[in-house]
Amino acid sequence: MRLLIIEDDKDVASFMARGMREAGHVIDAAHDGETGLEMARDGGYDVLIVDRMLPRRDGLSVIETLRGEGDRTPVLILSALGEVDDRVEGLKAGGDDYLVKPYAFAELLARVEVLARRRDPDTVKTRLSVGGLEMDLLARTVKRDGEEILLQPREFRLLEFLMRHAGQVVTRTMLLEKVWDYHFDPQTNVIDVHISRLRSKIDKPFEADMLHTVRGAGYRLSAP
Amino acid sequence: MSWRLPAFARTTAFRLTLLSAGLFALSSFVILTLVYAYSVGAAARRADATITEEIAAVEKRFDLDGPQSAYRYILQRSVGGSEFLYLLIGPDGERLTGNISDLPTTPPDEEGRVRFTYDRAPVDGEETDAVAGREARGRIADLPGGYELFVGLDIEEESRLVAGLLNAILIASGLALAFGLISGAVVSRRFAARLESINAVAREVMAGQLASRAPRTFSGDDLDDLARHFNEMLDRVEHLMHRMRTAGDSIAHDLRLPLTRMRGRLEAALVETGDLADREAALAQAVSDTDELLKTFNAVLSLSRLQTGERRRAFETLDPAALLSDMAELYEPVCEEAGLDFSTELQDGLSILGDRELVAQAVANLIDNAVKYTPQGEAICLRARRCANGDVEISVTDTGPGIPPEDRSRVLERFVRLEKSRNLPGVGLGLSLVHAIAEVHGAQLSLDEGPGTQDAPGLRVALVFPKVK
Repeated sequence: MRLLIIEDDKDVASFMARGMREAGHVIDAAHDGETGLEMARDGGYDVLIVDRMLPRRDGLSVIETLRGEGDRTPVLILSALGEVDDRVEGLKAGGDDYLVKPYAFAELLARVEVLARRRDPDTVKTRLSVGGLEMDLLARTVKRDGEEILLQPREFRLLEFLMRHAGQVVTRTMLLEKVWDYHFDPQTNVIDVHISRLRSKIDKPFEADMLHTVRGAGYRLSAP
Repeated sequence: MSWRLPAFARTTAFRLTLLSAGLFALSSFVILTLVYAYSVGAAARRADATITEEIAAVEKRFDLDGPQSAYRYILQRSVGGSEFLYLLIGPDGERLTGNISDLPTTPPDEEGRVRFTYDRAPVDGEETDAVAGREARGRIADLPGGYELFVGLDIEEESRLVAGLLNAILIASGLALAFGLISGAVVSRRFAARLESINAVAREVMAGQLASRAPRTFSGDDLDDLARHFNEMLDRVEHLMHRMRTAGDSIAHDLRLPLTRMRGRLEAALVETGDLADREAALAQAVSDTDELLKTFNAVLSLSRLQTGERRRAFETLDPAALLSDMAELYEPVCEEAGLDFSTELQDGLSILGDRELVAQAVANLIDNAVKYTPQGEAICLRARRCANGDVEISVTDTGPGIPPEDRSRVLERFVRLEKSRNLPGVGLGLSLVHAIAEVHGAQLSLDEGPGTQDAPGLRVALVFPKVK
């Protein structure tokens, strides 16, 4: 994927760029809002990573300008401001996701890849399938290899999120945000417990595992 | 050239006094000037009326008995120290009689009145300066047969009186101004001295003497009020500085351990030539240690923002039962894993005013704590109920070891970790956050014994939200 990083801290930008290149992406970087806006206008990027506080033009204004011009490229906002209202402000300005500094690189990578996937807007799918796992969103049923699996409503939503991002790493924070809509760090391993319950239903009775733990990052659901 | 006023003259008090003294002097000047103008006018009118009467007396005699009679009358009247001045002029312009030699040279006004000075003949060895250049008013009247009569009146005394009045006015205004300036200087010096004492304290505080305080007079006047507020503000600043310092120390102290541990692990991984799996494990552990540190920093930041009131309130009406059943659904599996009996008692139809994220975070922190400290086989209960007075109480109760009464207020402070919890994960910010969130919502936070035994009384932490108006 082609990514544009607009970040004024050159050290942070180069560390991000290196990590992203290692993950197989093509990276351009801009160190101020004006340059970033010009580069974004040239287009061709799958995701923009925009810092909120930028010299010459504030990050939110860059995003608002692009959205005003009809540019729909997914944007991940980076910010040291982590309160709910800051986040809401960022999303209202046209950001698609919001990550608070300091963040773990794995978290950034996972979110960028999930955003890139969003380019082909999920047409209203009524069925999801990964390997032998099938989900019917209308009938609210889940089957693996033709066998029905009974899930609690929240387990269903958790699996739905994992299936929509099959093959990608999703972090604990992302799950807490997207499935439960909470934006804080629980001191206990709540997400791990929910994942292990889900695992006991979709993996345990079957031959091969589909739901994998990615150490230091999160989880990935993929075809066995 | 830069000439500066003396310090007291630059003070606000002095300027205000100067302004009021100036206004006082100006107003007294205006009032006295009006008095003066009226007095001058009245004296002139009186003199004119007297002159008119005298002219009428002469005319009467002239009309009845002819010029001779008027002539005699004037002669009689101008003998000795008469205050009247007469001059009777014949038809051919010759001076017939009177006690002045010529008509005044000053041109008369439109009514024939004239103001002039004359030299009176001295009476009984009078001083010459008393008789020379005396002030007088007069009028010329035409008599039948081409005669002209001039009657004047000496108004030197009135003029002197009025001139004295004018001097008095100028002196009084000058004195008013001078007294104003003197009293202004005195008052402003006192005022400036009191203000300076407050300024001096501000300078000392800026120089690092945080314990400095402004002197009080306890008179309750506005300067004393200023000193009191200033001191209260300094108390608050000192308290915050102290808290910041201790918080900073605690952060450094509490983060040193995990950082040291992490460094040790990484170093070991670096020098060991062991297998790759061990190294990977060390790296993964380091990553999760880092995540813990990040969590701590985020918690410190959130806490600071809450305590400094930086967070804008996103308050809405919330249903505690709905919010808590969500939390229960999130935590119930965690409790089950930990071998705890988890239950909820949620009253429906309640509402509180709050920020959903914050309230959820507070409850999550309380449940986290309960899960962390409650031994296997014990119980945790999540409740929402309406109090007798209509307030709404959210509580988390456990049957764990509890917190001794003497430690209950201490655990709300940052980075306080009781001895027995030292070996458990956490940095001691959980309850501080709950406390700060309670304050933001105007809710009461209380820690009590739970329903446990004497050895393990348990803990009941309650947040009481004020009822929605």
